[in-house]
Amino acid sequence: MEFLLENILNLVGFIIGIIIGVFSYVGYRNTGSPVLFRLTIAFIAIGIGFGVIWAGYLIDDVFLQEGKINRGLQALGLGIQTIGYFFIAFSHTIKSFFPKSRYFRSVGILPLFVLSTMNIEHIIRSFSFILLVYGAIETLVSFLEGKQKGALAVGTGLALLAFGEFIAWYSLVFPESVLYSISILLKISGLISLFLPISRLPLRKIKMDDLDDDKKFDDFEDDKFGR
Amino acid sequence: MGVYRKQIEIVGDILYAAEELTIDQNGATITKLIQKANISHSRISKILTNLVSQGLLEQIDSKRACKYRISMSGKDFLREYKTFSEFTDNFGLTI
Repeated sequence: MEFLLENILNLVGFIIGIIIGVFSYVGYRNTGSPVLFRLTIAFIAIGIGFGVIWAGYLIDDVFLQEGKINRGLQALGLGIQTIGYFFIAFSHTIKSFFPKSRYFRSVGILPLFVLSTMNIEHIIRSFSFILLVYGAIETLVSFLEGKQKGALAVGTGLALLAFGEFIAWYSLVFPESVLYSISILLKISGLISLFLPISRLPLRKIKMDDLDDDKKFDDFEDDKFGR
Repeated sequence: MGVYRKQIEIVGDILYAAEELTIDQNGATITKLIQKANISHSRISKILTNLVSQGLLEQIDSKRACKYRISMSGKDFLREYKTFSEFTDNFGLTI
């Protein structure tokens, strides 16, 4: 049961991550917005992270048949996902704390995680949890300011992913309990909630390279007009 | 504390203004665009030159004043700007 749920979760995560990542990339190509660039990195990383874990389960199912994923591969997938969560949280950090800094806006700082397997998984889950909670809080604060339903759905999605991550971390303490299955279901719900507002956007007219390179607005000088 | 607009948001506001003010084919004057997009004259002049050279706005020389109207590619850009602006809003971010 857990094996099936894990497969579904990671497949859904892979598909949704890549779709939102590609959509962000098209937006970045057409507008040159660094925010969309960071969202591209975030969601491609999240998609690849889920994809790596899914591939791990597939390899075990088809070739190894041990009934469990290779710990190193799982840690790698979780680490890649955490980089994605970091970039979502980082975009909010820039908005909140670095409104004038060009350097912090451009690429950001990549976190480095260098330790060994089981401990790494705990640490990565902890990092993911903190980043997801931060992203959820910031998005829900934006919802309270702007009352936009999409922000509520994304904020709820990130919160469900965070809660799922917390339960998954807790299930390591009680390995044979139902907690892990609950965490997977919470994460699937979170991913669907994350995808809902994006699925309602008009995607039909979006195409890449609609504008020449010099039509992008790369010079992100701020201007203040009391708005 | 005032809210800062990014360059792309200013461009979006100017294109919005140009689209709304281009009811007939005569276009909008700089004064109208300044009022609608809430931007200073010195800054808008530079941006308008840029937008015209990129084909997002069309410049119309009338007898009384220089006017601007949004081009087809300007409308395309504006449509995509709206879509991706809504997309980033969903994450509580500004484009």
